[in-house]
Amino acid sequence: MILRLAIASLFARALTVGMTILAIALSVALYLGVEKVRTGAKASFADTISGTDLIVGARSGSVQLLLYSVFRIGNATNNVTWESYQDIAARSDVDWIVPISLGDSHRQFRVMGTTQDFFEHYKYRQGRSLEMVEGIVMDDIFDTVIGADVAATLGYSVDDPIVVAHGLASFTEHKDQPFRVSGILAKTGTPVDRTVIVSLEAIEAIHVDWQSGAQIPGQSTPADVIRQMELTPKAVTAALVGVESPLQTFALQRAINEYPEEPLLAILPGVALQELWGIVGIAETALLAVSTMVVVTALIGMMATIFSSLSERRREMAIFRAMGAKPMTILSLLVLEAMLMAAIGALLGLALLYVGLMIAQPVLDSAFGLWLPIDAPTMREAAVILAVIGAGAIVSLVPAFRAYRMSLADGMMVKT
Amino acid sequence: MKQTLSLLSILAAVPALAEDTRQLDAHEHGVGVLNIAIEGITVAMEFNAPGADIVGFEYAAESEADRAAVDAAVATLAAPLDLFVLPAEAECSVTQAIAGLESEEAHGEHADHDDHAGHGQHEEHDDHAEHDDHAEHEEHAGEAGHTEFHAEYTLTCANPMALTEIGFAYFDTFENARELEVQIITSSGAQAFEVQRDAPVLDLRSLF
Repeated sequence: MILRLAIASLFARALTVGMTILAIALSVALYLGVEKVRTGAKASFADTISGTDLIVGARSGSVQLLLYSVFRIGNATNNVTWESYQDIAARSDVDWIVPISLGDSHRQFRVMGTTQDFFEHYKYRQGRSLEMVEGIVMDDIFDTVIGADVAATLGYSVDDPIVVAHGLASFTEHKDQPFRVSGILAKTGTPVDRTVIVSLEAIEAIHVDWQSGAQIPGQSTPADVIRQMELTPKAVTAALVGVESPLQTFALQRAINEYPEEPLLAILPGVALQELWGIVGIAETALLAVSTMVVVTALIGMMATIFSSLSERRREMAIFRAMGAKPMTILSLLVLEAMLMAAIGALLGLALLYVGLMIAQPVLDSAFGLWLPIDAPTMREAAVILAVIGAGAIVSLVPAFRAYRMSLADGMMVKT
Repeated sequence: MKQTLSLLSILAAVPALAEDTRQLDAHEHGVGVLNIAIEGITVAMEFNAPGADIVGFEYAAESEADRAAVDAAVATLAAPLDLFVLPAEAECSVTQAIAGLESEEAHGEHADHDDHAGHGQHEEHDDHAEHDDHAEHEEHAGEAGHTEFHAEYTLTCANPMALTEIGFAYFDTFENARELEVQIITSSGAQAFEVQRDAPVLDLRSLF
């Protein structure tokens, strides 16, 4: 009975009620959207590397090693000598090891020297492998495989020549040893998209005629001669390691960390990512706080509209009372109306979120590599909706209590 | 001949240089480390905690009471399921438990330890004698001697999916321990947690 009354009453004031509901819907959609982006960003971040058990580099900090080896941010403090690399690779508990050699660049993109195993063992987003859109994995010493962003930004296609620059922000280019694009990788949403991948030997090859950071004048070894040369690297920047069994991971990590011949560091990528997220994650808390405030503002707005509707509805309330409605009935009518508004608003907000997700999902994935899954609402989202309805009820108690106290006398007095 | 000699001396010098490697692990009182790796039904655990957390001192055990405390601690550490309580549904049993005390000096001692511990706890008495030597050695070096308790466990859990939480009775047993840094490796990757004395339960449901 009272529910029908509440619904009819809301319909009678369709415009103001509609605006209030819209405000709540938008705020809820914003809140849930921020929540989605936040968890999506966290998951994307954690998915940057998977399937790798340990990352090995020079002894520094775990976050720093992760940043330069996986995110290509910053630089290594030291390299890992080839001997140490071989020592680790020869251990029986090491299943596979992929070297990474950084330090050169192509335009604004980092060049990474590695082996073909990288394409087999580098996994992202819960075990997905790298895929070629075009061409093949490098096969010759002067072949490169480029990430999706590199290809898109510089407009490269397979067989285009590439000149690798020495160092990271330098103008001296290795013009004498031009490379060729042999393959282009599919978009991954990871730093691989912004990487030019060459073979480990190629990194050595481009430095064949270089000494102390400058090219030896007049000396240029032809490409064919270089192909014949022994191009074992002296050092690598870092290495990705897979263990035979997860049970051996900690023992291997300790063995590498205590490796007496060279100060090395082995990190668990998952743990380092978590550590790094702990630093980056402050922004997410701020974002969440702001969107919570938006929801609160919308609810306070609803309170204001109920207050102003009270003066419109003085007569209505008085008639209810005159017909025998108890003050309690008036209070519950108002609270029920508010809860209905909040509920419709919250559900509409949820619907808005899904519509928004469907539109934004492909855009976000291609532009930012941020993958937001469209799932059924989680318990957390259900809890948010319930909280909004509950908060709506609490907020409406203030005007409802006012109506409760003064409905009869106030409405009966002729004021207009 | 001279050349040969100098070559020899170089060769002799190389190992000497290698032995000169100096490194020391981080050591934070109150904070222990527990590493857990799970594969199939096998659960491997590694535990490390400063001597201060476990027995309250880090000097080499001198008095009878000190030695008794160390022995008691090693015995306690050899029973992992009483320290790290796993859900009964997981049906875990200990297949191997090794515990011991090590000083932060000299990694060569490491091997000794494993040998001794393998024989059982009682034989570790001999081991302690060695420790005393080492401690004296440390005092000579002028550095404050830190000691760490170290333990390795292998468990078999018939139902590993039921490993939804770990209760840390550890904090009740060792009153000086404040925090345990837990790292867990499962098939889904590695994760780190910090378990504090005032909330001694770790929820693992997010891992499975």
